[in-house]
Amino acid sequence: MTAQAPAAALAGRSNPAGVGRGFPVWLGLAPFGLVLLVLFAVPVLSLLKLAFGESGFSLAQFERMAAVPVYRSVLLTTLGIAGLVTALAVIASYPLAYVMATVGPRARGLLMLLVLLPFWTSALVRTTAWIILLQGNGVVNTMLMGAGLTASPIAFVYNLSGVLIGMTHVLMPFVVLPLYAAFRNLELSTVQAAESLGAGPLTVFRRIILPLTAPGVVAGAMIVFMNAIGFYLTPALMGGPGQAMIAQMIASNINTELNWPFAAALATVLLVATVTMLVLFQRFFGLERLIDGGGGKVGQPFTVTSRGRSTGGWLAIVAAGLIGAFLIAPIVIVFPMSLGSSPFLAFPPESYSLVWYENFFSTSKWVTALTRSLQIAALVVTISVVLGTLAALGVSRMRPRWRNMVETIFILPMIVPVIILAVGLYYLLAPTGLVGSIWGVTLGHVVLATPYVFITVRAALKSFDDNLELAALGLGASWATMFRRVMLPAIAPGIAAGAIFAFITSFDDVIIALFLTNIRSRTLPKLMYEGVAHEIDPTIIAASCLIILVTVVVLGANLLVAKRKTS
Amino acid sequence: MSIAALGKAVSIRALHKSYGATLALDDVSLDIPAGCFCTLLGASGSGKTTLLKTIAGFETYDRGRILVGGVDIGPVPVSKRNIGMVFQNYALFPHMSVRRNVAFGLEMRKLPAREVQSRVEEALALVDLIPYAERLPRQLSGGQQQRVALARALVIRPDILLMDEPLGALDKNLRQAIQVELKRLHAAVGATVVYVTHDQEEALFLSDQIAVMDKGRIVQIGSPRALYDKPVDRFVATFLGECNFVPAGTGILAVRPEKIRVGEAARGCEHMLPAKVASVDFIGRGFRLLLDRHETEITALVDSTDEIAALQPGAETIFGFRAGDVLTIASH
Repeated sequence: MTAQAPAAALAGRSNPAGVGRGFPVWLGLAPFGLVLLVLFAVPVLSLLKLAFGESGFSLAQFERMAAVPVYRSVLLTTLGIAGLVTALAVIASYPLAYVMATVGPRARGLLMLLVLLPFWTSALVRTTAWIILLQGNGVVNTMLMGAGLTASPIAFVYNLSGVLIGMTHVLMPFVVLPLYAAFRNLELSTVQAAESLGAGPLTVFRRIILPLTAPGVVAGAMIVFMNAIGFYLTPALMGGPGQAMIAQMIASNINTELNWPFAAALATVLLVATVTMLVLFQRFFGLERLIDGGGGKVGQPFTVTSRGRSTGGWLAIVAAGLIGAFLIAPIVIVFPMSLGSSPFLAFPPESYSLVWYENFFSTSKWVTALTRSLQIAALVVTISVVLGTLAALGVSRMRPRWRNMVETIFILPMIVPVIILAVGLYYLLAPTGLVGSIWGVTLGHVVLATPYVFITVRAALKSFDDNLELAALGLGASWATMFRRVMLPAIAPGIAAGAIFAFITSFDDVIIALFLTNIRSRTLPKLMYEGVAHEIDPTIIAASCLIILVTVVVLGANLLVAKRKTS
Repeated sequence: MSIAALGKAVSIRALHKSYGATLALDDVSLDIPAGCFCTLLGASGSGKTTLLKTIAGFETYDRGRILVGGVDIGPVPVSKRNIGMVFQNYALFPHMSVRRNVAFGLEMRKLPAREVQSRVEEALALVDLIPYAERLPRQLSGGQQQRVALARALVIRPDILLMDEPLGALDKNLRQAIQVELKRLHAAVGATVVYVTHDQEEALFLSDQIAVMDKGRIVQIGSPRALYDKPVDRFVATFLGECNFVPAGTGILAVRPEKIRVGEAARGCEHMLPAKVASVDFIGRGFRLLLDRHETEITALVDSTDEIAALQPGAETIFGFRAGDVLTIASH
């Protein structure tokens, strides 16, 4: 049965084909590498070039930025808001993460859902919901006035508090998750030892818990800050003129002032700030942390002692309850509101009907936009699953030496603020005519979504036992057969998770769509954005609910698949 | 038994392999007759697993030849080599039932379904797993998984069966039971086996031929008895069992602990020497004594007698051994 080797068998080096690793590294790396080069590196670099002067090196744009007070103050506002949001996220995360780590599995699952749901809900839907809740005639003010707590509406939105609420809401999970992992890794015995040595609850927190959880918190805080400085939607919709951040300044320089070089210079500043944060993060924590969110082994889990919770513990539970309510409020409030019948927003609605859903499905601009969004998302999922899986296969076969660098490059689109990619692609693609078609936005989404597939498949491949591959090859399978029959079934859950992230990334995106679509090619989120920026009508709320539903269905399907896999 | 793999002879000629500056395989030559159970024995890092993986085709080599049944398999890709490999962690396909796992190699060979089925049944019967055929690997115990891995490797009637520390993950009792089972299977099937282990007792028990490896070289090749009784050097002598190096007269004599006699029993031996008792430990089948002679520690395994039991640490005694029990070690 042995294949007869050629008589002139090599007496020298053995044939590498004999080592049957059958999948060339370049085939994995090249496709996504090429996409990144053309659709990420080129646009970003051309922005840099624009910023430093198209004909000859010049710092004129940056000098102007430093000289004009308005621009200086935008930069300071950006840093200030990002700093405040980071602080709020850390403070709010402590009680929540502590309670998550010390309650039973059922309550923990619920809290985890509260944390993750906003994370996976479209930024636009969340923002819309907050505005409905907080505006002058919104739900909160109506309740406060109804209860006689205030005579005139309190201004929660279109000012600093609006921006802080909206941004903290979505960025909190970045701190909660690593902090939760840190609490889980805390050994109860360390706390007991401190107590036996005479430490009270405050001392235990300050001297034991704080230092042991600090690395997780700092890692999370850095991610929050890095994300916050590039935020566009929330400050634009929930802030006032005083809260304009750098991303808005970039957009307005392109859309209204038509000052491309200055927009490019602002983008450069934002890019440098983000990359600096990334480098610091990598230096301190390593990139794996960014990818796995700092989960770790769970040894002897940290729990409350048998004598029950202290006063501080109960306070933490109350705080965690309030924070949980804060996380979920905007999402639960939109559902009943979408079922109202009056064209005026009220909570709770006076009467219920499906009129706004009917309106949605009978208005051609909504239906067209929804269809287009689904179409684009399907294209994005298909393309990014292929690109991301190939890239993960290629990277897993690389020599370790260059692997880290390639991995960093492959996840860059997740880290660089979307506004920079959007503006860069707009600059690059506008002359080609792709902006009017669905292909411009599709390509932009592919760049954003592929890193998610790359990360999930890479993780799946890491837990794939190399010996299975060798065993299959040893039993006579070709590499392709081995991949189909052994490796693919093993990494399929990773591919599925990646596909879901890719879908959500595309389906929820507003910023790429803002720049790369026009009135003929606009997506559902873009159409909603135009409505929210103008005036919120109940159809938008119905649309929001539809988006949440699609997200929940997709995530739920993934959970079901994952559950069936493990049981 | 029709599963009997007509194992082929393996001949390894002057194999070299280096990772950068370190030599993983240094001029390795080894002839394994068809049907022979050959063990590569060595500590971790000795090159034994590298050699096994090179034969399998999972690793390249720089120079040399590997002949299976007289044919150089250097240029043959792994999937065409017709080898059976049992991995240390078994590497069972987790999403396939026991039956699907065992059938995999036959399906790759595009055998008719009927034949696949009958050969799978036969292989499962051989390892006593027919009742478990529809289970997934994770529903089996470690020992059962081990047997699935074996059946999967044997069912393709491999030219060579390669086993990489296959018992390493099992506890001691199970390991011994499977050793007996392996020996029975080898006798029944008659495959050419290349077996890697660092456990010398396992090697002695199972093998027709043992190749002791160290630092990428084969130090000695021979039958278990030849290696135990005539080790070529101190390394082999100490690696295969314990060995005393007794200073006597002008030279140093190498003697296994079980050949050392103590007290009355030493009388009449060609070599008799005084020593001081360092410790006396009862180990069930006898006593384990540590003796001190001129700062050299001598280990003796002796039968349980009242005389030995009465020995106290610090006491003076004599020990001895027969001239025929001295190992002849070539000096390097």
